[in-house]
Amino acid sequence: MNEPLAERECSDQPRADWAASEFADLYAEHSRAIFYLALRFLGDPQKAEDATHDVFVKAFRKMDQFRGEASWRTWLYRIAINHCRNLQQSWNERHMFSNADDALWDNAVAQIDSPLRVLETKELGERIQKALDALPDEYRLLLLLIADQEMSYEEVGTLTEQSADAVRGKLHRARKAFATHFRKTE
Amino acid sequence: MKQQNEFNSEHEKQHSAEQQTNQAAVREFAKPEDLLRHDTQRIPVPAAIAERLKVSSASFPKPSRSWWQRFFGK
Repeated sequence: MNEPLAERECSDQPRADWAASEFADLYAEHSRAIFYLALRFLGDPQKAEDATHDVFVKAFRKMDQFRGEASWRTWLYRIAINHCRNLQQSWNERHMFSNADDALWDNAVAQIDSPLRVLETKELGERIQKALDALPDEYRLLLLLIADQEMSYEEVGTLTEQSADAVRGKLHRARKAFATHFRKTE
Repeated sequence: MKQQNEFNSEHEKQHSAEQQTNQAAVREFAKPEDLLRHDTQRIPVPAAIAERLKVSSASFPKPSRSWWQRFFGK
């Protein structure tokens, strides 16, 4: 029989109640996704570590506000995205897109249909980061969210304030842009 | 002579291991998000975050339980 959540924590832990236990479970299940988003969005391991800590602190403080209308993962992503955007002071400027940007990726000759061949080296992370850094923030965020298999197009659309169809359309351009930049890092 | 044979043998083993490593290291990803999924799994979450959260959470006020948590007994 499973031990009740409220009784699972040891007495040496300061908050041995249901909330602390629930929070520990939440962290165990979602910390990898949140850390990865912060890492690749901010591009700095130390900033990502700080951001992940701060996101879960905010989540802990707001746990009583969670209404179950979205999944925990979506809820945590929302906090993380807002936090990372706040850290990136230039978000608003970089978030602006012109049609020229879209045309650029539409006309790009990136071979999106051909697979990305990569060597499993220690530089792989740097190459991925360089390719992501070269993308507009919106494309980077779409790719990072879609890469999470727990996230549906609808949920990604909710988080990025657009329809699922818009997500699909932009995702195509985001893939193309990423492939173009990633191949340049070879 | 024996030492030379041992050296050659070691060298061959090493060369073979390197070849195997190189062969295994080439991976293909159909879409960028597949590559990012792979990247997610290879990057560990720093243990320091959990340690910091343990300390931070000690000073938090206890949140009240929302209606659905009470309802579902979570």
